[in-house]
Amino acid sequence: MLRRLTAILIIVALAVWPQPEAAGSSARSSSAAAAEQGTATVPLVIVVNRSNPVNELSQAELRKIFLGSRSHWANGRRITLVMRDPSDLERKTILRDVCGMNEDQFKNHFLHGLFTGEILVSPKILSTPAGVRKFIFNVPGAIGYLRISDLDDSIKVVRIDELLPEDKGYKLHVLSQAGN
Amino acid sequence: MTRQLKFAFNRRQRGLVPFLDRVLTAASRHNAAFLLFLVCCGVAVIGAFVIRDLQAANAEALRTYSSIARGLQQIGELQYEAQETRRATLYALTTSDSNLQVEYADQSRNADQLVKDGIAEYGSHAKRHEETELADCLSRDWTSYLGVRDEVLSSILEGSTKEAVSLDLSGGVPAFERVRKDLNEVKRLYGEDAGRSQANLVVSARRSSWKLVAIHSFTLLLSGAAIWAIQRSRMLSAIQLAKLQMEFVASVSHELRTPLAVLNSAADNIADGLVVGKSAMKKYGTILQHQSRSMGHLVDEILLFASTEDGTNKYVLQPLEVTRIVDSIVLETAGLVAGAGFVLDRQIEPDLPLVLGDASGTSQCLHNLISNAVKYSLDHRRIALRAFSAPVDYWSGREVRISVIDRGIGIDSSEIEHIFDPFYRSPRVNAAQIHGTGLGLSLAKRIAESMGGRVSVSSELSVGSTFTLHLQIAKGDQMQMVATSGLSASSSL
Repeated sequence: MLRRLTAILIIVALAVWPQPEAAGSSARSSSAAAAEQGTATVPLVIVVNRSNPVNELSQAELRKIFLGSRSHWANGRRITLVMRDPSDLERKTILRDVCGMNEDQFKNHFLHGLFTGEILVSPKILSTPAGVRKFIFNVPGAIGYLRISDLDDSIKVVRIDELLPEDKGYKLHVLSQAGN
Repeated sequence: MTRQLKFAFNRRQRGLVPFLDRVLTAASRHNAAFLLFLVCCGVAVIGAFVIRDLQAANAEALRTYSSIARGLQQIGELQYEAQETRRATLYALTTSDSNLQVEYADQSRNADQLVKDGIAEYGSHAKRHEETELADCLSRDWTSYLGVRDEVLSSILEGSTKEAVSLDLSGGVPAFERVRKDLNEVKRLYGEDAGRSQANLVVSARRSSWKLVAIHSFTLLLSGAAIWAIQRSRMLSAIQLAKLQMEFVASVSHELRTPLAVLNSAADNIADGLVVGKSAMKKYGTILQHQSRSMGHLVDEILLFASTEDGTNKYVLQPLEVTRIVDSIVLETAGLVAGAGFVLDRQIEPDLPLVLGDASGTSQCLHNLISNAVKYSLDHRRIALRAFSAPVDYWSGREVRISVIDRGIGIDSSEIEHIFDPFYRSPRVNAAQIHGTGLGLSLAKRIAESMGGRVSVSSELSVGSTFTLHLQIAKGDQMQMVATSGLSASSSL
């Protein structure tokens, strides 16, 4: 009985253990990893509505927002999270570099949060960068992410840990379309 | 008959009619074509006015209708786009797909931009204070609605459907109702404007109709006046011709009566045996011969005028030597000149070229000119006959001129233009009892023109006159023609 129990624990541990390790490895810069693999990357920017007074977020705050732990901005506006389709490369980058999760973990997290009431609203899914831009333009409390090449003046970029995409040390990068 | 005509003329010599008659008489000389030309010009000018007026009326109508159509289209588009703004917003409520919701939001924003543009255009074209105020009010109400619409869209996209509906009911519906009322007001004001434009158009059309009636009446009046003037001109012309013919008949009768009286008297004397002796008989014979020739010449002149008048007299043009022409006329008029106690000086420029003319025609023409010189030279009994060549004008070649120069009574400058008219007799000449038919110069002119030449005159009162016959110089092919029929030409001389 004890041997069976030990075997189950070992199997569960093996099943669970490698994934946080993979997420943990994402602490390294994705651009550095890409550079090691010899592929080109472009910065991924975090964008909000132009009326939003927030100009800067820390990596931790960003993680809280993207995991639904934080539901309102400082001005009281409700935060609406905008994400792309699950198959999308940018989404995978955000889940890996910001949330430290994979797709399933992210889904489970939100299912659990909505079930328990810890999370009020699930993320809005938009299929195109233009859709993301327009959504954020229309909703004052919206936040999302875009490749830097998809930016325009209708929305605002926020600094992450005081860094802008063009600054050295900026961590959010995604493989360029050509590299996909 | 002549007295009746004169009486009729004298009776009209008072008031405006005589002035009109003088004008019409002057016009009759240039035929009724001039009056017809004036009428045509008048009708053309009036036609141009009518066309311009119609074009202006059409342009105004077109402007009004296009303005009304454009205005209605703008108002229709404004109403449609306003509804489209609201419709797209409400459609976003019907789906939970964020992509579709964003698309509807986009449609709504596109439509609202068109409405903003439409309101701005309406404001920029507003002329009245009422319209400007309405444009401002509409702009304010639309902005207010858009504020609510943005909140509603935001709520829909956030997923708060209930909140969106609540916002729309509390703020969106009243705000949009205000916009709808404003748009209805725009429509009402535009209807008033269109009504005014249509009323102006009706007034303009009525004015155009009146103008057309006035112009038509004026044209009829002008045409009537022109017809009256043409008829009157013809009547005056006929009266004048009849008068001249009567005077001509009187003059010819008088000219015939004198030699007839002499002939009658001489014949009576001979018949009564009063003429005795050879010398007396010879004297009477000379008188009879002279008078009969004078009568014959007069009859010839009348017949010649009649033939030139109806165009039956055709001249055969051929090259002629000027010396022969001059010699011939000197010989022909020697009796006339010598009989009147005149001396004829003959001056011919050497090496003159051949001229183109008819031998009898040139002879008749010069005969008339020399006869005139004899008739109207009073005491100075010397006439010059001069032949020379001269340039036709600045551009053309040369011609030969034969001038008959006298030192007679001369011609008044006011009469110069009439002396070639048939039957014309100067009042001064009539008063001086100088007899004539008034056909000599007219005949000379017609003969010269029939030969491709002309007769000109320069004269000074009491100093003398110079009448010149202008003849064309014969050219190469005409010389050739003569070479083939030279005998007949020379024989006619």
